[in-house]
Amino acid sequence: MEKHVIEKIEKIVGKENVLKSYEERKCYSFDARAQGAIPDLVVFPLSSFHVSEVLRIANEYKFPVVPRGQGSGVTGGAVPTSGGVVMVFTKMNRIKEIDKENLIAIVEPGVITYDLQEEVKKYGLFYPPDPASHRYSTIGGNVAECAGGPNSLKYGVTRDYVLGLEVVLPTGEIMRTGVRTMKGVVGYDLTRLFVGSEGTLCVITEITLKLIPLPESKATILAFFREVEDAAVCVSKIIAERIVPAVMEFMDKASIICIERANPIGVPENTGALLLIEVDGDRASVRSQVEKIVSVLKEKGVSEFRVTYDPIEAENLWLARRTLSQATYNLNPIKIAEDVVVPRSKIPVLIRKLEELSGRLGIPILSFGHAGDGNFHVSIMIKDEPQDFKKAEEAVREIFRETLRLKGTISGEHGIGILKADYIDMELSQEALSVMAKIKKLFDPNNILNPGKIFPKHILSG
Amino acid sequence: MKELKELKKIEKYVDQCMKCGFCTYFCPVYQEERVETSVARGKNYLVKLALKGEQEFTDELGKILSKCLLCKRCVVNCPAKSQIDRVVVGARAQMVNEKGLGAIKNFVFRKVMADRKRFTRYLKLAKAFQWLLPRTEGNIRHLPDFLKALGAGRNIPELAKTFLRDMVKPAYRPEGVKEPVMRVGFFMGCATDFIYPEIGLKLIDFLVKRNVEVIVPKEQNCCGAAIYFSGDFQTGRLLADMNADAFRDVDLIVTACATCSSTLKEYEKYLPESEDQRKRYEDFSKKVKDSMEFIIDVLKVDPKELKVREEFKGKTVTWHDPCHLVRYQDIKDQPRNILKNLEGIKYVEMPNADLCCGMGGSFSVYYYDLSKKIAKKKTEGIKATGADVVVTACPGCMINLIDNLLHNKMPQRVYHILELVE
Repeated sequence: MEKHVIEKIEKIVGKENVLKSYEERKCYSFDARAQGAIPDLVVFPLSSFHVSEVLRIANEYKFPVVPRGQGSGVTGGAVPTSGGVVMVFTKMNRIKEIDKENLIAIVEPGVITYDLQEEVKKYGLFYPPDPASHRYSTIGGNVAECAGGPNSLKYGVTRDYVLGLEVVLPTGEIMRTGVRTMKGVVGYDLTRLFVGSEGTLCVITEITLKLIPLPESKATILAFFREVEDAAVCVSKIIAERIVPAVMEFMDKASIICIERANPIGVPENTGALLLIEVDGDRASVRSQVEKIVSVLKEKGVSEFRVTYDPIEAENLWLARRTLSQATYNLNPIKIAEDVVVPRSKIPVLIRKLEELSGRLGIPILSFGHAGDGNFHVSIMIKDEPQDFKKAEEAVREIFRETLRLKGTISGEHGIGILKADYIDMELSQEALSVMAKIKKLFDPNNILNPGKIFPKHILSG
Repeated sequence: MKELKELKKIEKYVDQCMKCGFCTYFCPVYQEERVETSVARGKNYLVKLALKGEQEFTDELGKILSKCLLCKRCVVNCPAKSQIDRVVVGARAQMVNEKGLGAIKNFVFRKVMADRKRFTRYLKLAKAFQWLLPRTEGNIRHLPDFLKALGAGRNIPELAKTFLRDMVKPAYRPEGVKEPVMRVGFFMGCATDFIYPEIGLKLIDFLVKRNVEVIVPKEQNCCGAAIYFSGDFQTGRLLADMNADAFRDVDLIVTACATCSSTLKEYEKYLPESEDQRKRYEDFSKKVKDSMEFIIDVLKVDPKELKVREEFKGKTVTWHDPCHLVRYQDIKDQPRNILKNLEGIKYVEMPNADLCCGMGGSFSVYYYDLSKKIAKKKTEGIKATGADVVVTACPGCMINLIDNLLHNKMPQRVYHILELVE
């Protein structure tokens, strides 16, 4: 990047909000999983005005701008593909307003999701979306990726809480979308278009969020099963009993073995699947939900279960689930992670397919995740060897094919980024892709905002 | 390719990091600066590139590596159990191998601190001139602006009138008993020796009263924390050998400084160059006990029997966890056990008691403004307790806490926990 362009940017945001050294820039070339190119400059805007001015310069000099929160994404959404500016929002992190009467929060994009949750808790309020990264990911990143989490079965995902946005368009205009009321149907729903757009259509500079009252209490149940099918039947039966647990997390046999090796929690022998269930509400309803669930579990062949109403003990029951993602690295150093979703009733079909694939290709494939909504984290663990990468590639294609055959989707919450762009046309039709390409062009005629993401190259150029 | 001796030693720790970014939530430096190079993930990434030969040992890398308090908050919370402290220290050592220590550190570490007599002589000289500095309350010298290198406007403690080593006897035998219950070596450490000799005398007195024989070998030297954490393993080894030698005749070594106890315990982790040396450091490390664990776990003093000193009666007291105690040695219950059971004081737990005070040894010299910002969270925690007195077990933390309480015009006094009791 030319010196005078850097100076222009420094003038806008201030020298202290620009990183130039090679070492500093390198640290913005990756996220939690993907490795991208080294940016030419790292810029920390403090206002929508800063964002707008930098984007105008980017259009003038035609360099890419990549918005980034904490870089905790897992598909490369915040990683540059060809230099330019990485625009980091960690310094734009104020909670601007918590409106107790109307249950609304207005925040800057760099607020850490967990910090917001803790802050609204003080008012007896609740912001439910809880991606595994909620302690260290930003709300802006969550909105851009439409993050989910264990809570989504009952409470929905990030999109369900975004009422309105302030955004800067790639060409520099500052614009508001949506409302700060519970309803609103004026014009097209641009808010929904932007949520989950992975930073390719606009840069988010302010978010208006819906809050809900914090449930009074909760209970946690950990249940072990011999067979995957029994666990799956329980999931459906619980919902058929008209109970919607806040959380229903599933773990397959391979995951359980992995956990028992890393952090033994005393799983009974011959366990083929595990469910972690959490119900919340007022005290009376939590008790009756637990009673109903326990009777379903007993009826449908649970081999052992534990129930607790104590938050500290609940943490212990959660321990296995929380440490699992890391424990997988004990199997092999490289993880190819997918987050496919299938209709609830198809869960056993998918799990059996994964077991079959793992056996056939001879590489560990684990699956765990949000059974309630059918969203599975499939981890293909491989060694850093060419033949392993080839096998993983084959596994991914087969898993996606099976997912789509079961009428599911290839990503529930991670997004496409750069890591999954090659697979997008397995799910989306040429017509849908062509409409999306037109939308991208409409917003970003010079293709400067987060280029190289979501779409394979030929789709945008063709 | 160049020889990457020190880096090779830490390769397995470098590979632990899976780049999730969880460390950002715990890192006091990141919480202030919010840039990737502040935090473990960024540092680890650059060291990994250096291992692959894709990153030179530039001044910029040196600066990035120096911006770590080694507080280990990220380490104990890391889901991948990554040990960034070892990565940072190992990479600093590689840096020293390639580029040298720099003139100032070379002089201070190798010419002064490694030679106890010379160190004492220089400090005596400093003492003779410290009247030049304006004095504020509580035996604190206010460092004027012309000494910018040590941080503008920093309150530094007054050097003791008489250094501890000039006061202590070689051995203290309990009176009126035939056989002492135990025989231990006392390791004083620099801050206790030169600034807070009363803490050392207090520990000796405390132990002797409980029928422990205390030996004070005069060949003992600096523990080496500031030196080998800066990557100067050569001088670190020299000190480790001197200390191991000085205490060869005792089975237990007790110190009242959390940084010293953890540093002495970790010689084996960083310094050995041969199997013999490794064994020697390991044997030495096993003998070391921090005063808190020694009093509660080894000597099994019942905290209920301790008497609070008159001047502290009726006071509200809070506890600050030194990083080198709570995370390096997992010692957190012992001091609380004492404080909760001490009759005559009211103990209040501080919010974020385990948050670093911002000292980080030379970190606070090079990044004084940043250190003050980190300390601000600590002083806010202290304020929230309503305490009159802050106690801890590390003279390094004491220095920084006093400085920051004065800066924030807060009335709390800071003591070593041992000073509270008879």
